[in-house]
Amino acid sequence: MGVIDFIINNILTQAAITIALIAMLGLVLQRKSAGSVLTGTFKTLLGFQVLSAGSAIIVSSLTYFGKIFQHAFHLNGVVPSIEAINGQAMNTLGLGNEIAFTFLGIFIVNILIARFSPWKYIFLTGQALLWMATMTVVGGKLAGLSSFVTVLLGSIIGGIFAVAMPAVAQPFVRKITGNDAIALGHFCTIGYMVEAGAAYVFGEHGENKHSVEDIKLPKSMEFLQDTYLSVAVIMVPLYMITAAFAGPKWAGTETTNYIMNAFMQGIQFVVGVYVLLAGVRLLLGEIVPAFRGIAMKLVPNAKPALDCPVLFPYAPNSVILGFITTTIGTVLGMFLMPVFGLAVILPGMLTNFFAGGTAGIFGNVVGGRRGAIIGGVIHGLFITLLPALLVTALTGLGFVNASATDSDTIVAALMYAWILAPILKAV
Amino acid sequence: MSKKLKIYFICGAGLGSSLASQMVAEDVLNSLNLDESLEHEAISSAPGLRTDIIVSAENFKSQFEKYELDPAIKFVFLHNIVDPKEIEDKLVPVINALSN
Repeated sequence: MGVIDFIINNILTQAAITIALIAMLGLVLQRKSAGSVLTGTFKTLLGFQVLSAGSAIIVSSLTYFGKIFQHAFHLNGVVPSIEAINGQAMNTLGLGNEIAFTFLGIFIVNILIARFSPWKYIFLTGQALLWMATMTVVGGKLAGLSSFVTVLLGSIIGGIFAVAMPAVAQPFVRKITGNDAIALGHFCTIGYMVEAGAAYVFGEHGENKHSVEDIKLPKSMEFLQDTYLSVAVIMVPLYMITAAFAGPKWAGTETTNYIMNAFMQGIQFVVGVYVLLAGVRLLLGEIVPAFRGIAMKLVPNAKPALDCPVLFPYAPNSVILGFITTTIGTVLGMFLMPVFGLAVILPGMLTNFFAGGTAGIFGNVVGGRRGAIIGGVIHGLFITLLPALLVTALTGLGFVNASATDSDTIVAALMYAWILAPILKAV
Repeated sequence: MSKKLKIYFICGAGLGSSLASQMVAEDVLNSLNLDESLEHEAISSAPGLRTDIIVSAENFKSQFEKYELDPAIKFVFLHNIVDPKEIEDKLVPVINALSN
């Protein structure tokens, strides 16, 4: 029994090993050469550890930010970042193993649904699946479930989302791309539906509808497509302004000026995001192609659901406009949430760009210029409201100054917190 | 058999759509018996890349023009980054030109 105990206590509880073994399984099932299996497995293992290192950087920067924000405005400022939530859940809270197994489980449930139902969507956006796995596991912990039930339920709920969200978005995607070849696999789809709905109500229709794509936007905005730059453009000034209000006592160190210290801490946040996503890239670079190979064999006529930027070349103006209007909405939301007794949610720039940009495409295709503008602001408010609703639950579990982004993953977690947990308590 | 070409697929974060494009390209190249080395990265990392070909979406074109990349690198910009036909039409001629 000593050997089995050793395997359980030292190998299967190491999340990095679990996820590397999952990648290895995928590579072996595809009959890759021994060399490819070895390098693929190692890259996945390395990716997990890089992700952990990035997470540690983000947490230390966010801890600083939380402290100065508290002293500057006497409020709790929460940074919405699914990357930060994932990093903290995997490391600080030790949920990495459950997340790795749920990630695998969502793949399996996705293939089963696609195989036996008319919805042939195979969700191939690896990081979105990882975020969904994270949030269902967090939800399971919120509801007080055992690890086994958490993984099982997370796999089922995540698998349903992985098919349902591309299916819901498909009528719009068909309109945007002009064909039915690709689907959208991005767990911000509920937000896109909110924008599309708002654009339908407030937008232009029929002959009065003018596409955003017909106007010329300044070229200088295009640098915002560089993810890390657009995060830095907002986060660094945000840290510096907050430090200015907090003063040298809280924001500085004995040797460094407080504004300079805040500047460096803001840069550290971007560094953390960069390292974490580099880890995710290594982690998923092998698993996703393996999953795709297996899924395409098992599901005839499978339709790949892909990450949102595949839509960006179809409507580049809408992306920029969506980003700007969503950001306006999130800034309004930041001031509005405390009025309703909710936490202050700072604008989350990663999600503002990717989700906001994609939402802009939806708004434009449904309601033209006016639809995209009004819909974008409402989308921004909506994606600020969701993390605000989640904050109390997350803080209770021990997350530091962060809340999730990506509307669908938050909705999944809220289902646990608002529906499942009360039922379990009542029983 | 000449040396493998290095082809980088680039998107905003270097996670989702670049990998999606890379997977489609891998299928296209396999069907034509072309064996090259494919990787994906974020546009932030592009200025330091050592590669033969960069494949990206049309909306990134103006940003690449601002960087001073190695003039030997060939660019392929796609409208639909996951369309096998477009990848075959635009990427394969570049590969053939470099391999000869």
